[in-house]
Amino acid sequence: MIGNILVKVAFVSILISGASYFYSFKKSSNQFLVIGRNAYHLTAIFVLSFCAYLVYLILTHQFQFTYVWNYSSTDLPTPLLISTFYAGQEGSFSLWTLYTTVIGIILMQYTSRKGYESEVMFVWSMILSFLLLMLIVKNPFTFIWDSFPNDLIHIGAIPFGTSNYVWIDQAKSIWAQFPVEGKGLNPLLQNYWMVIHPQILFTGFSSMAVPYTFAVAGLLRRDYQSWVKVAKPWTVFGAAVLGTGIILGGYWAYETLGWGGYWGWDPVENSSLIPWLVCVASIHTMMSQRRSGTFVKTNFVLSILCFIMVLYSTFLTRSGVLGETSVHSFVDAGMWAYWLLLGVIFLFGVFGFGLLIRRFKEIPKIPVEHSIYSREFALFLGAFTICFAAAFITIGTSSPIITNILKGHAAAVDTSYYVKTIVPLGIVIALLTGIGQLLWWKTSTARDLFKGALYPFISSVLFTIGLIYVGVRDIPVVLFSFASAFALFVNIYVGFKIFVGNPKYAGGAIAHIGLALLFLGFVSSARYDDKATVSLEEGKSKEILGGEYTLTYMGNRQIDNERYGFTVQVRHANETYMVMPVMRYSTQSNSMMRHPDILNMYTKDFYISPLSVESPGDQAPASYTFSKGEVKEINGLSVKFIDYDFPDEEKGKMVTGGDVTIGAILEVQNKGVTEQVKPLFKRTQGGPSFVPATLSHTDIHFTIVKMQPNREDPSQSKVDISVSNPTDVSHNQPKAETLVVEASIKPFINLVWMGTITLIVGFAVTIIRRVQEARGKE
Amino acid sequence: MKVKIIVASIVIVIAIVFGAISFVETNVEYTDFHNAVSTHKKVQVKGAWNKNKESSFDISKSQFSFYMTDDNGQEEKIVFDGAKPNNFEIANAVVVKGRYEDGCFHASEILTKCPSKYEADAESVKKSL
Repeated sequence: MIGNILVKVAFVSILISGASYFYSFKKSSNQFLVIGRNAYHLTAIFVLSFCAYLVYLILTHQFQFTYVWNYSSTDLPTPLLISTFYAGQEGSFSLWTLYTTVIGIILMQYTSRKGYESEVMFVWSMILSFLLLMLIVKNPFTFIWDSFPNDLIHIGAIPFGTSNYVWIDQAKSIWAQFPVEGKGLNPLLQNYWMVIHPQILFTGFSSMAVPYTFAVAGLLRRDYQSWVKVAKPWTVFGAAVLGTGIILGGYWAYETLGWGGYWGWDPVENSSLIPWLVCVASIHTMMSQRRSGTFVKTNFVLSILCFIMVLYSTFLTRSGVLGETSVHSFVDAGMWAYWLLLGVIFLFGVFGFGLLIRRFKEIPKIPVEHSIYSREFALFLGAFTICFAAAFITIGTSSPIITNILKGHAAAVDTSYYVKTIVPLGIVIALLTGIGQLLWWKTSTARDLFKGALYPFISSVLFTIGLIYVGVRDIPVVLFSFASAFALFVNIYVGFKIFVGNPKYAGGAIAHIGLALLFLGFVSSARYDDKATVSLEEGKSKEILGGEYTLTYMGNRQIDNERYGFTVQVRHANETYMVMPVMRYSTQSNSMMRHPDILNMYTKDFYISPLSVESPGDQAPASYTFSKGEVKEINGLSVKFIDYDFPDEEKGKMVTGGDVTIGAILEVQNKGVTEQVKPLFKRTQGGPSFVPATLSHTDIHFTIVKMQPNREDPSQSKVDISVSNPTDVSHNQPKAETLVVEASIKPFINLVWMGTITLIVGFAVTIIRRVQEARGKE
Repeated sequence: MKVKIIVASIVIVIAIVFGAISFVETNVEYTDFHNAVSTHKKVQVKGAWNKNKESSFDISKSQFSFYMTDDNGQEEKIVFDGAKPNNFEIANAVVVKGRYEDGCFHASEILTKCPSKYEADAESVKKSL
């Protein structure tokens, strides 16, 4: 009850705050400004209170609340227990609301110094009221008996010994029982990442609303230039924090979740990348406006779009609209949340863009003075390309919706879509990252550019030749590497000169060095990762990845009730390492979790992820691949694959869709006797079947496992055949336990992490400079 | 100025056409086995694991194979490069992504769909009383 009331009171008070701020803006009334301010502070107190109340409920294990029961349990350590605050949808909306509220307080103080308070806080209150409205519809304070009335609400006498009950209506003897233990936190989330990552991500998400707020404020007060200066440090801050959140999420997935990589183009990942890209694009055009007053309209569009994309991404991942097209399970938030989110996108979109259209003619047009060889033009092209990338990712992520509208049924794009579309844009972005740094504001000449570019260009050509020499032949990869190297060398060259002059101004160059390193890391670790799925019989060594690595499974060891570690010896380049990937069977969620182990070797990571453990006797009979005419010795038999038996009439049926039978003719020699056997593949209406053939006078069966006919050249056809002999199991089945792992090499993945850190340092330097600039110290 | 606009428009049109082609090429349709068998395209099929027929892991090739019946009742053999996926036994539906070739469906990805959250929750709330 208390939680619900606090949410509603906060909603009412933010509406009062918003209305007062609006009135104070319209009438320039100082009195209403004070009311708005006080109402906002009051809202903040209510928001902090219901968040604190939720933390209290979680810490004291009040399982009569559905949310607390659903995500926490009594056995969690305190940091993780607190992190269950945002483990679910309602809680993460609460966290978003909390950070938005807190950022609002800082924003209020900042804007009151700048004379922007009424307009900015009016828009901010509107944003906050939307979040609070979401929480009124869906909040973490639902009683569990309201969620499960059929199971928990009873009428009549309370059985003796029941202590976990509450009276709902004692007069009618209606009572409800509540759980004494919670379901607990998803085991996948039970690590320190869960404590920090969502916090950073939601701080970033909340900050993405700031540029929108300033842009709308600028439009409201017909201030088309100076809002940019005020908004700039916030925009950079938002990009820095959200960027950190995104990459930390990637590291989490790589290091703990065992997804095999740091980025999977999943809707959840994309939904934070899209607003980030738009925000980064707007940083560049804002910079240009600060310098030469250009791109006024572009900055309005991008700042508004940035927040709209936050809302749209939230809609994609929180409304259940993507359904079954992702690995992440999306909770169906219900019709209310769906329409509310859609309505809010529409509302804020119309408000922002509508206002821009109304003011469009008023906005002074700055005549374009700069040439193609100017930093403005490079920045514009860069921002434009980044926006294209954002658009492609948005379209890809929205694919289920788009195909549903166009074709009537949903279809997701394959991840190759993103690689195809983003790589060319990445090459352009990398080149512009270099060129932009070499150009002066307003006017440069082609000569300036060539002069500055000469040494970096020569260095990157040499670098690229080196790459081609060591075997990089893929044209997009060569181009991407060249462009990234060029960006890297130019920014090191320019950055060094700036740094010597005044380190404060080097933020941009440092961030771009980070970006170039990131790009190089992306190319090497994603394009040249080498992967193998291998089965390791205990105690036996196996060479993998072209014989460079020798793996030996040494045995398993129980770590705790649920966790097993699998020790694997890795021999590589005369060194011996031990790794221990872990598998965890969670009885609570009834599922298996696999945690990888990583050998970090400076120039590469050796990544090993457990897939399964097969105990002896569990496995399928061994299968053998035969080329046409090939003879193999199997358990004392000599087996030869003659050909497929696939008459033309059967081929005809395959096209018309009738029943088809294909045979594999094998010639088997057993103790001097030669015999032909023909296991069959049949496809009928009911489905396919693989009919084994038995060798005469024996129990030995031959079965087709997989057909690999070669249509162009039938003499190259292959077939997989399994040979089973029930009376002689020992021959074709391993005796020891077998560990199945996926091993992969990620070359130069350290570049990704180095690049990230450099990028964040660059952002930090820029924020410091922009804050000083906004304070007017320059 | 005019030249700039023309150049920009051409670039934008090329980018859009390129994006549209990539989009159509990489779209993985939700469909059934009938369609998968006749088109040989990369598709996504939802169905249920047929527990009556054999399912096994082939150590020498590191492949997991099983039989799956789609929503229209058509059954196919699925061969997956990897081990048995998470939650395979408790899943009430399986989604396989891949293409049909030479008698079996080669899955590159398998998603398991677990019983709906609400049903599962109602069960577990009773357990935790």
